[in-house]
Amino acid sequence: MQVTSPVRPPLVTGGKKAADVTNDICKQVEGKPTKVWLVAMGISLITLAFGAYCLGTLWWEGLGLWGLNKTIGWSWDITNFVWWVGIGHAGTLISAILLLFRQKWRTSINRAAEAMTIFAVLCAATFILAHMGRPWLAHWALPLPNTYGSLWVNFNSALVWDVFAISTYLTVSIVFWYVGLIPDFATIRERATGVRRVIYGMLSFGWTGKAKDWSRFEAVSLVLAGLSTPLVLSVHTIVSMDFATSIIPGWHTTIFPPYFVAGAIFSGFAMVQTLMLITRVVYKLEDYITLEHIESMNKIILLTGSIVGIAYITEFFIAAYSGAPYEKFTFINRAFGPYWWAYAAMMSCNVISPQFFWFKKLRRNLVLSFILSIVVNIGMWFERFVIICTSLNRDFLPSSWAMFYPTFYDIGVYMFTFGFFFTCFLLFAKYFPVINMAEVKTIIKSSSGNKESH
Amino acid sequence: MGSSVDKISLDEKYSFTAKAKRNIIILISVGLILSVIGALMVKSGIGVEHHGHATEVKSEKNNSAEGNVEQKVAESEESQKQSEEKIEMANASKAEGKEQHADHGHGHGPAVWVKRIIKNLWHNNVFFLGIAIIGVFFVAFNYVAQAGWGTLIKRIPEAFGYYLPVGAILTIILILIGGHTLFHWMDSSLYDKTSPHYDEILDSKTWWLNIPFFWARTIVFLAAWIGLWALLRKFSVQEDIEGGDKFFHKSNYWSATFLVVFGLSSSMLAWDWVMSMDPHFFSTMFGWYVFASWFVSGLATITLVIILLKEAGYLKMVNENHLHDMGKFMFAFSIFWTYIWFEQFLLIYYSNIPEEAFWFIERMRNWTYKPLWFTTFWLNFFFPFLALMTRESKRQSMILKIVACVIIFGHWLDFYVMITPPVLHNDGGLDFNWFFLELGIVMIFIGIFAYAILTGLSKAGLIPKKHPMIEESIYHHVY
Amino acid sequence: MEKGKNFILGVFDDEDILLEGVHKVRKAGVNIHEVYTPFPVHGLDTALGYKYSNLPVASFIYGMIGTISALSTMIWMLGFDWPMDIGGKGHIPLPDFIPITFEFTVLLAAHGMVLTFFIVSNLWPWNYKPKMFDPRSTDDKFVMAIDLAKNTNIKIEELEKILKDSGAVEVNKKDMN
Repeated sequence: MQVTSPVRPPLVTGGKKAADVTNDICKQVEGKPTKVWLVAMGISLITLAFGAYCLGTLWWEGLGLWGLNKTIGWSWDITNFVWWVGIGHAGTLISAILLLFRQKWRTSINRAAEAMTIFAVLCAATFILAHMGRPWLAHWALPLPNTYGSLWVNFNSALVWDVFAISTYLTVSIVFWYVGLIPDFATIRERATGVRRVIYGMLSFGWTGKAKDWSRFEAVSLVLAGLSTPLVLSVHTIVSMDFATSIIPGWHTTIFPPYFVAGAIFSGFAMVQTLMLITRVVYKLEDYITLEHIESMNKIILLTGSIVGIAYITEFFIAAYSGAPYEKFTFINRAFGPYWWAYAAMMSCNVISPQFFWFKKLRRNLVLSFILSIVVNIGMWFERFVIICTSLNRDFLPSSWAMFYPTFYDIGVYMFTFGFFFTCFLLFAKYFPVINMAEVKTIIKSSSGNKESH
Repeated sequence: MGSSVDKISLDEKYSFTAKAKRNIIILISVGLILSVIGALMVKSGIGVEHHGHATEVKSEKNNSAEGNVEQKVAESEESQKQSEEKIEMANASKAEGKEQHADHGHGHGPAVWVKRIIKNLWHNNVFFLGIAIIGVFFVAFNYVAQAGWGTLIKRIPEAFGYYLPVGAILTIILILIGGHTLFHWMDSSLYDKTSPHYDEILDSKTWWLNIPFFWARTIVFLAAWIGLWALLRKFSVQEDIEGGDKFFHKSNYWSATFLVVFGLSSSMLAWDWVMSMDPHFFSTMFGWYVFASWFVSGLATITLVIILLKEAGYLKMVNENHLHDMGKFMFAFSIFWTYIWFEQFLLIYYSNIPEEAFWFIERMRNWTYKPLWFTTFWLNFFFPFLALMTRESKRQSMILKIVACVIIFGHWLDFYVMITPPVLHNDGGLDFNWFFLELGIVMIFIGIFAYAILTGLSKAGLIPKKHPMIEESIYHHVY
Repeated sequence: MEKGKNFILGVFDDEDILLEGVHKVRKAGVNIHEVYTPFPVHGLDTALGYKYSNLPVASFIYGMIGTISALSTMIWMLGFDWPMDIGGKGHIPLPDFIPITFEFTVLLAAHGMVLTFFIVSNLWPWNYKPKMFDPRSTDDKFVMAIDLAKNTNIKIEELEKILKDSGAVEVNKKDMN
């Protein structure tokens, strides 16, 4: 018997029953593409095409097209990489950690968040391939036997750790997402006819909903959640070690791993918030993604934003406390040097703006939530830019101090990932069930407010 | 409340019997006797491991000795390389920690046995104060996360707060008496440019490490902890009488406030109380490292108290489902601790910058602490990880009890390794006197802690009967 | 559904009634072929007498294989096959190997378990046309299938009555040929 306390607001409103859930979600998959969708898809495809041109030119001509220089040898590419990987943390976090913590509100948003995760990680991988210059040699990042002796990859390198972390994370996330999709595909299959029935039948892997299979399914979900939780933490930990294992002041700091993880969750939730606020309006899912969901998301944004804030303060404090002149210089340069505006943008977007969410009224304000969710992601982009560029731009040799200016191709490759991300997300939103029907049905009796069914 | 709940009483009350009180007083007395014997033994040098004849023998001496032994034993290329590297790291640490060690080496300050007592008191004080505040933290985050399952056991972490005033007083007394022993930076000769002990680095830190500001931080944060706990406790007790959702929402609000205060204060107090004992050392992770250790020990203590109360016939409605969740918490946060512990180590090991690395060399390369250092890792990671991996083991109170005890001991040891080297240098290792001095002082602290929280438990019902989520907790089931 | 051909289906529309129903039907000595539900019903597996899945154990074993193979491969490659001392850490810097060991452990544990799940539950894209007793069991109904060949000792009318008494809103016959 499941008891739900009366102080808990319902998670599904509008007196929905299980059959309504099926109808409301499948309707979107079964209907013809709407005009809004077609327009959005068109814009995404144009962006993608433009970006593909830039990426292609980059590979053809070489990395000299980017604005990198001798002092700042790593800038937009790695900033964008970390930014996308960070965004790609929310989905697995929602479905894994919130599952373990039994936060039932996750059921309405986990599907879309996981899809977003996968696309974001793919976008991040684009930057690795782009920076390789010769992407057709990418497989040499793996320890493959070769004719040089065999000469193996350097397992001490944080970049090799990254290869393993990102590829594990990507594939495990896809599997986690897909296992959850199987029962929903079966639901769509049973409603479909003709070719669609065959396609969704294949996608559903012949799922029938046996109690025995559900029992295994639950065990698999739980173990996958248990595995994904440390995995999702490890991925951004390892990304942070790309910097923290170095001895560059501003990069080498022990708080980086958990602080990057908190930042990743922060930006990931903000991106989920942005997308869900649009989806709920376009798909009329207000009964499934309620104000409660939005408020819960905003609370997590507030929490992680504050953790990130504490980490900024800690870094600054320790730099002052350390007594190491290089540490001190780097942090003063960060806040008051030539990139002060990036630092100011980071602080105001990441630390100050989420503080609005201390107020319940503002947490439940849709317009503000939407604006802040975008502001947070702008702030998180600047955070990575600040960490990367301001630690490099004024190095130990004043004669080599330099600034970074992005070129057309820096921007173009960034645009490519946006085009790719939204194209994928729009395809997902059209042809896949955006809300996990099976999971929402499990809470509909206890959390839908239809108390008469007891 | 629904009629279905009536079958078991919600009005359970813990009575702190005279017998229990007597047992605790016996425990404290035995602890006192043991520690007095221990102190006398250390004073006369019985049962003390001799790591060199004087404190001037610094870690690098141990290191090179160790390196030599290893070179003899293992002849492979790698181990030679490793020992060379050890010496290199040790030399680097010498440069960094020179002033600091030199100062202590000249026999300033009290005798070893006094230092050892003060260090022990401080170590236990930090550890038990941490457990107590984690009790409040547990209550607070359960409110903020709207977690219903733990309502039945809420009174137990809540009662941990009763130790806070005791711990606060102890902290103040200890800093008053032993501040100069515990905190090297409190030595005023370090800041005198004419003195041979003048320390340029520490002189640049006086904006933070100065005695008035240190006191202010300690007192303000302790007062905030006690005040917020008292407020949450007041709401909780009033809720028992008046009922309604009002107190739930109020508690929710103040819990969020507590979390903010705790988020800031736990880090800062960790820097002050633990990190500044090695005043040259700095690590941005340190606050969270101390927090992680506190948190796991707090969770283990909550679990242990629940199980002990159940064995004494209380908390009949608490069943294996609630224990399962506590088990999950211990499992997950043991891994979390390991993550923080390992990350901090890995980054410092990888970069090998002398100004940071010396902290680990003091503990990992020095045979005085090396065994303890690695023991903490086994006790705090492998044991809980393997023991709590399966679903069934998290539901057996016997297994949970053992794991909780191991975790508490393991994290006590973790704090031991953090706190001992800066005070005792090479005199702080595992020796025969552990059975007297260390054990005795721990017994005293356990006694005081138990007395405080049991008094707290007896002051209100064991079950927050009018909490709006109590029914969820009663029918809690983990699949 | 390969063994029998004729089934009686009890259709339920509430998960709590279904759970009680399963207990009642089993108490009456009826052998339940399988229950089909649109979402996981907690406690249904134990009510049907299924054991807790061994998949987590399988996952642990795959994970251990991952740990051991990753560690030993790295030690062999950098320590023996082409010894390299990087950053003065010796040939076998164990702390540096931990991140990849962890990732590889998770990789094998997760994929191994999911593959095993697909194998034991026979879930593959080529099964795109599974035989369903009642398509509504992927929507909002819970379908309890009873194999007549396995319950020859109970009359059909009696079975129908047991199902109705246990809370089924519909009782249908289904020929699965």
